[in-house]
Amino acid sequence: MMRIALTVTALATLLSAQTKDFGKYYSFDEREPKTQVERTIHGLLPSMVKIHGASGLATITAYATGIIVSDQGHIVTLDQILLQKGRTRVVLWDGSVHDATLLRADDKLGVRLIKIDPKEVNGKLKALWPPSEKQAKYRNGQFVVSLGNCFRLAEFSEKLSATFGVVVGKANTALRYRMADVKYDGDIILTDACNNPGHYGGGLFTLDGRWIGLNMKLLDSKETNTMLSAALPSRDLLPYLEEYVLGKKREDVIKKVVPVWTGITLFEQAGRKSPPAYVERVKRGSPGRKLGLRIDDMIVRIDDFSIRSCKELRSVLKKYKPGDTVKVMWKRGTKVMTGDMELMEKPKR
Amino acid sequence: MILRPAIVMSMLLLPLTAQQGNVDEFLKLEPVLQAALKKAGPYVVTVETFGGTRHVMGKDGPMDGPAPPKPRPKPKKVEPKPEKKPDELPKPVKPAEKPKEGEKPKEGDKPKEGDKPEKPKKPKKPNKKKPGLVASGFQQAQGKTSGIILSSDGWIMISRFALNLDPTTILINVPNHGTYHAERVGEDTSRGIALVKIDAEGLPVPEFVHPKDVKVGQWAFALGRTFAEQDPTVHLGIVSAKNRLFGRALQIDAYTSPANYGGAVVDIHGRVLGISVPLSPSGRNAGVEWYDSGIGFATTIGNITDLVKRMQEGQILQRAWLGVQLSTSHLGPGAKITGTPKDGAAKEAGLRKGDIILKVDGQDVLNGPHFQMLVSSRLGGDTCTLVVKKKRGEKAPISVGPITLKNAPWSEQRKGKEDLPASFSLPEGEEGR
Repeated sequence: MMRIALTVTALATLLSAQTKDFGKYYSFDEREPKTQVERTIHGLLPSMVKIHGASGLATITAYATGIIVSDQGHIVTLDQILLQKGRTRVVLWDGSVHDATLLRADDKLGVRLIKIDPKEVNGKLKALWPPSEKQAKYRNGQFVVSLGNCFRLAEFSEKLSATFGVVVGKANTALRYRMADVKYDGDIILTDACNNPGHYGGGLFTLDGRWIGLNMKLLDSKETNTMLSAALPSRDLLPYLEEYVLGKKREDVIKKVVPVWTGITLFEQAGRKSPPAYVERVKRGSPGRKLGLRIDDMIVRIDDFSIRSCKELRSVLKKYKPGDTVKVMWKRGTKVMTGDMELMEKPKR
Repeated sequence: MILRPAIVMSMLLLPLTAQQGNVDEFLKLEPVLQAALKKAGPYVVTVETFGGTRHVMGKDGPMDGPAPPKPRPKPKKVEPKPEKKPDELPKPVKPAEKPKEGEKPKEGDKPKEGDKPEKPKKPKKPNKKKPGLVASGFQQAQGKTSGIILSSDGWIMISRFALNLDPTTILINVPNHGTYHAERVGEDTSRGIALVKIDAEGLPVPEFVHPKDVKVGQWAFALGRTFAEQDPTVHLGIVSAKNRLFGRALQIDAYTSPANYGGAVVDIHGRVLGISVPLSPSGRNAGVEWYDSGIGFATTIGNITDLVKRMQEGQILQRAWLGVQLSTSHLGPGAKITGTPKDGAAKEAGLRKGDIILKVDGQDVLNGPHFQMLVSSRLGGDTCTLVVKKKRGEKAPISVGPITLKNAPWSEQRKGKEDLPASFSLPEGEEGR
């Protein structure tokens, strides 16, 4: 018994030592921040944590970054890293290690909240919260700083990596990750501040320290075959955070999916690569007929979505429900025409 | 005495203030960048392509991307064949019967003396090379790219990259003007650019900067309108070098990829320095290894007004090909020929192995790379006059030409051979063609 007690005491001493004194080999002298960029990074680092999930799969990284969103210990991170119940650890900026419990994830956003016990933390947690709509605004070409633990370079109390760049653009583009389409269909922030494994779940900040985005995984742009460094706008996390951090109830989402009907038959050949969306037939009384579509018209756009093939038209229409009005652009000969089409539910025979 | 501590203090503080100034320069730059974006944004258009054929291109793909479209052959008139009477039909000849494989030869079929035993046929090697489908890596983008308005009456310059799939439909979206159907007109494959025409008027026209007014190290922002039509995407960088690719392009370190090919590269005043194109020193389309690598090329527009006119007439301009192989051991003066491939302009002009080219259009040739630079900056159809010291025959150098240069061959395979780097600087006053 004595021996066990001694071991426990020794371990406890070691753990407590971790949070208090790191010894001379783990203390790095640092001058005070002087510039705006330095001050911003210095101020934000205590709100960022390193997350270590389960290990086991070589293809999925088991580490990421998270952002503290409440002083009750809520931390938001990407869900696509390998997190496992009972094996997820959080390392705070002071080097202290904490067990984390997993809360419910948001599949569409691809994010998850985890929670640590605030009582075990030295001092108070420094939480961030998505800024107001006005504060969350950004412009293309605006300088940004991205914080995260790229390639797990930072261990223990070592500081996270900061990468610098500009907001490249805002886009609602067709994206995929590992050949699977990304579910999130809102606008994302494109940036050239480097994003790497481990950096995922970190934050994208303006130089004055406003939290504008949560780093996503490196994504494939379907349109250009390029890899994109992107971030989820922090404002889009708000409904999810409010539900699980503040306990607000979200409005019910329509669960029943009713397919829309346009009455347009497209020209498709079986077994061939999906061709551009040429109209072959338009049913009487259908939304397509009301719009004025004719045979051999080529549909090129629905709202902001480019339609390059029949397949894309079908997948885009899945995003709408009967009663929605969409702006359709089509080409007739060398003329480009536009019009509004009200989508319908398929009439019963 | 009071002065000395003050000097010491100021010397101590100077590095600190300088550092602070350097980093916070970014904050000062931001409004300037925004102003440049606001000015240049309206000139950058979205190019959407539809249809066409997707194909994968490898490193050994054709020069300057796939070949430009050829005029389609007219359908031949099928003449009715004169009907033959059954008597005039040639009788079918029966082929000699051969023993089937695996069958044992019959007793009477023993090989006669003196007959050579048949060699076993070698199994055919599977044809691994399929042109156009060879290597992985570079897949053509299909969909949106960017372009620049060239004139108010609807001439748009785009990257040839957008036409790699030979699309059936091209649409141009001009911000605040609308979407137009575009006709494909002319191309310059050596610069990776193409001209399309839309039926529009009153379009905003950018200010183009002549490359002679560009300085290495100045800011260069690469704009694109591939992802969002409201605001152009922006990548930040500087001009890394001038007169790259035989005087055709600027090298920039702003990220370039299919996300902004065809978009404008602008300076801090929003003036157009060039158009982003996927060129590479080997003359082929830059592949994935070049995407976002920090080495991008922007074809200069300010110095090619005459070429734009030729493209507006529907011409397809290609890089020039003289058809000489040069000795690498001959260090000059002049360029020594080690071979003249058939069909080359040089062979037709009578140049042979061992001849030394001393002058091109009156300009002394220093060595082989210099000669390549002098010729490669031209286009197919251009002429040049050479002064050559023949290996055989007259001892005095003779004038050859004018030689009409041919277009570079498309399906040229150069596996294992490295092309000359495009880093030779042009002589002063030369901008390339």
